[in-house]
Amino acid sequence: MTPASSNAEVTAVDTQARWPLLLLLGGAIKWLVIAGVLSLIASIQLHSPAFMSHWPAFTPGRTAAMAETAFVYGWAFNAGLGLALWILGRLGGEPLRALNWVVVGTFAWNIGLTLGLVGIALGDATSFSLLQLPGYVQPAMLVAYGAIAVAGILAWSGRRTDSTFASHWYAVAALFLFPWLLSAAQATLIWTPVRGVLQAVVAGWYAQGVWSLCLAPLALAVAYYVVPKVTGRALPAYEFAPLGFWSLIVIGAWTGARHLTGGPVPAWLPTLAIAACSLLLFHTSIVLLNLRGAIGGAGNSVAFIAWGLLAYTAGGLLDAITSFRSIASFTQFTHLVTAQQQLAIYGGVSMILFGGIYFALPRLTGRPWASAGFVSAHRVTLLIGLALLLVSLAAAGWVQANDLNHKDVTFAAMAADTRPWLLGASGAQLILLTANLLLAVNFCRSVCACCCCCAESAPVGSPFRPAATMEAHAS
Amino acid sequence: MSTPPADDPRLDQSAATDDSLIAAHEKLLGRQKDDQGHYRLLPLGLLFFFSALIFGGGTYLGLFSGMFDPRVYDEHGHPPKAGAAVAKLDPREVGKKLYNNAACNTCHQVNGIGVPGVYPPLAESEWVSGSDERVIRILLYGLQGPLKVKGVDYPGTAPMPSFGKVAGSGYNWSDDKIAAVLTYIRSDFGNSSKPVTTEQVAAVHAKEGDRKAYTQEELLKLP
Amino acid sequence: MKNGFVFFAGLFGSIALSWGGLVLGSHKQLGGLAPFFDEGDSTSYPNRPPGVAARGQLVYADLGCASCHTQQVRRPDVGADQARGWGERQSVARDYIFQLRPQLGASRIGPDLTNLAGRKPSAPDADDLMKLLYAGSELHPAYGFLFENRPIVGERSAVALKLTGALTPAPGREIVPTERAQSLVAYLLSLNNTYDYPESRPLPKAPAKPDGAHGAAPTAKKEGEKK
Repeated sequence: MTPASSNAEVTAVDTQARWPLLLLLGGAIKWLVIAGVLSLIASIQLHSPAFMSHWPAFTPGRTAAMAETAFVYGWAFNAGLGLALWILGRLGGEPLRALNWVVVGTFAWNIGLTLGLVGIALGDATSFSLLQLPGYVQPAMLVAYGAIAVAGILAWSGRRTDSTFASHWYAVAALFLFPWLLSAAQATLIWTPVRGVLQAVVAGWYAQGVWSLCLAPLALAVAYYVVPKVTGRALPAYEFAPLGFWSLIVIGAWTGARHLTGGPVPAWLPTLAIAACSLLLFHTSIVLLNLRGAIGGAGNSVAFIAWGLLAYTAGGLLDAITSFRSIASFTQFTHLVTAQQQLAIYGGVSMILFGGIYFALPRLTGRPWASAGFVSAHRVTLLIGLALLLVSLAAAGWVQANDLNHKDVTFAAMAADTRPWLLGASGAQLILLTANLLLAVNFCRSVCACCCCCAESAPVGSPFRPAATMEAHAS
Repeated sequence: MSTPPADDPRLDQSAATDDSLIAAHEKLLGRQKDDQGHYRLLPLGLLFFFSALIFGGGTYLGLFSGMFDPRVYDEHGHPPKAGAAVAKLDPREVGKKLYNNAACNTCHQVNGIGVPGVYPPLAESEWVSGSDERVIRILLYGLQGPLKVKGVDYPGTAPMPSFGKVAGSGYNWSDDKIAAVLTYIRSDFGNSSKPVTTEQVAAVHAKEGDRKAYTQEELLKLP
Repeated sequence: MKNGFVFFAGLFGSIALSWGGLVLGSHKQLGGLAPFFDEGDSTSYPNRPPGVAARGQLVYADLGCASCHTQQVRRPDVGADQARGWGERQSVARDYIFQLRPQLGASRIGPDLTNLAGRKPSAPDADDLMKLLYAGSELHPAYGFLFENRPIVGERSAVALKLTGALTPAPGREIVPTERAQSLVAYLLSLNNTYDYPESRPLPKAPAKPDGAHGAAPTAKKEGEKK
């Protein structure tokens, strides 16, 4: 099992990184379940505002903030970071260095997040979307992220071959850019707040930055790696991948004033965001061209990624369409916006991350997932839940938008009109929670099996077939 | 441990090694666009698509950015030109807002009918629709004592306060605002007299200076 | 992207460029925005909120009210914001210059609150708001934790809630808003956008041009320019 020049599928890169990365992925799945519970509460409060809201820790505003924070910083970042480090390690061909920093960083990140959620429950949320974590845990999160990211940057700079691959770019970009984003937003929102509506502009810049410079790149790093690995074919139209990458990185954060259309900011800010949203279609179409092999491809991970890719593309297209003022004036401030965010972050990013976890875990533990039934059940339940969630939220948003824009419809009538759909959304959250519990159980069983096995004796033989050599096909 | 079958969801077999994955894609990147001498549609299509997006985005920015001016909130607007004439708001709109936001409507009511026996009506009142000299003075300086409106006597238990920018006024409205409110009350509640201009108010203000509230007798002496 | 230095410089340049354009650019334009001085009134607008209202805004933020209520009114031709009586003009940046943490909000599960205290003719008073916060409604959660149910010692508290029906406290007890509830209500009652800034006025309607001359309609002329 030498890392170099062997085509063994599991190498020292995997075995040495096993526990630090399982810690990150396990943390991610734990937060996914917690976020599921919180989202369920938040969703119920949308149609029954009295539910749990007599406890100060669970006012609708605080539950929504906690659910969003747990999902993004708990699930998406932990999973994305774990997979990005693993991919950078494998592409680099050498075992990851600075893994003790990763462990320290993971603990700091998750403890900081726990404290942050308690802080939000006690009323210390910042009230900026996607940056709800109280000011006092943010520096800790920054340091923790740096400690985790360092291993990835070292793996990139110490890679065995001079060549790079698309996954490299996306993963390194996310690792490198998030600390800048967070520290700039922190400085101008928490420590020396800018004045008036400028806070909304900075918060928008940060939120769109987290999406387009961190979460989307982390997911794309996974997709660009897993799809050619499983299909064994070089990506079509790959010569445009660099253009797709740079168009996301350069244009992404300019969409900052995306949700300020019609708001108290000068017209040029939303105009700029609208133009940027449209330009991002170029990025989206290149990603779709490159990864189209995933759609209809064989294998469980690729199936997840295919759904994620479709959602990512649909999300980008909808984002460009609904950013225009004539449409935004209708959809703004309604559940349609929530539906779109869920499409992007759950349907797009999370589905790809699930695919990545299904691909990575057997290689990290050296054995297949504990239960095939749980894997399939997770995928089916998740798809049903997600479809139901998106449809219900979109329908609720459509009804809400019609009611809001009609001046004589009271809020009581609006609540009655949206109620059936919001009940559907709560049902969907319950299904999603069940689905993710299946993943959590399967993850625990797989990891425990690995634990016991390692304690007893080394595994006899590998379940992995040696991989073949990829040919560069003409696309 | 045996190798699971290819379609086992517990494990996705890799079809390519990491090294060959990087090498194969690196080769694709380095390849000359037309090394096979084939005419390829895709690059042209993408190029066209990208240019169209940039062109569209640029045009959109040019049309709807309000020249990047911080004072432009409506994307169809343009920054104000230096020294341009000031757009006058409709004095009736300004007056209506003042009437309803200041104290007027609490006594004279939103529809100008007043309160019988206490606050005289503005609707179809001869004081409002009649001489502008008188009504300007009432609003500027206030009115004390009894008053007869539409044939009904009001005892003057609730005097009309002074609204103008004069000594003892609690409101200190500019002549602009006085004119706007007068124009409004002379055009609503069924009244349709000619508007009162700022110049008229300013003239009265200059002529009378600071003084105490008027009485019915003093006003009746005026034209 | 084999050259690490160029790669990282490109990444950093991209994020710095968007920061510079969006954040620094708008900061340069709006960071020094001054209150508008109305010569007619000899007063400047917006008014600085009283301390109790500024504290109330922090209560508003920490309860997360902004997850259901917005505080931004759009132009008359966008949505039904003004038709619903939420405000008489669109919100502009100047409205927020004295706010510690503007609560623009992004979701309208409940009504917009920009001009809550300035609504005509139905602005709620302190009693309405206290009662809604204490008892909630079909549509609004009840925040009983902002109130204290305590025995009446001596005279009944001046700020005690006047409740009727099922909500009436037990004899000898009263429901008194905590300081947080009082500052929250003071904040809500300080919300108004009745003053018209030059930049908040809608564009004048384009006059019909008989010769069909092209070009933009007469530009929105701003009073601020003249002064």
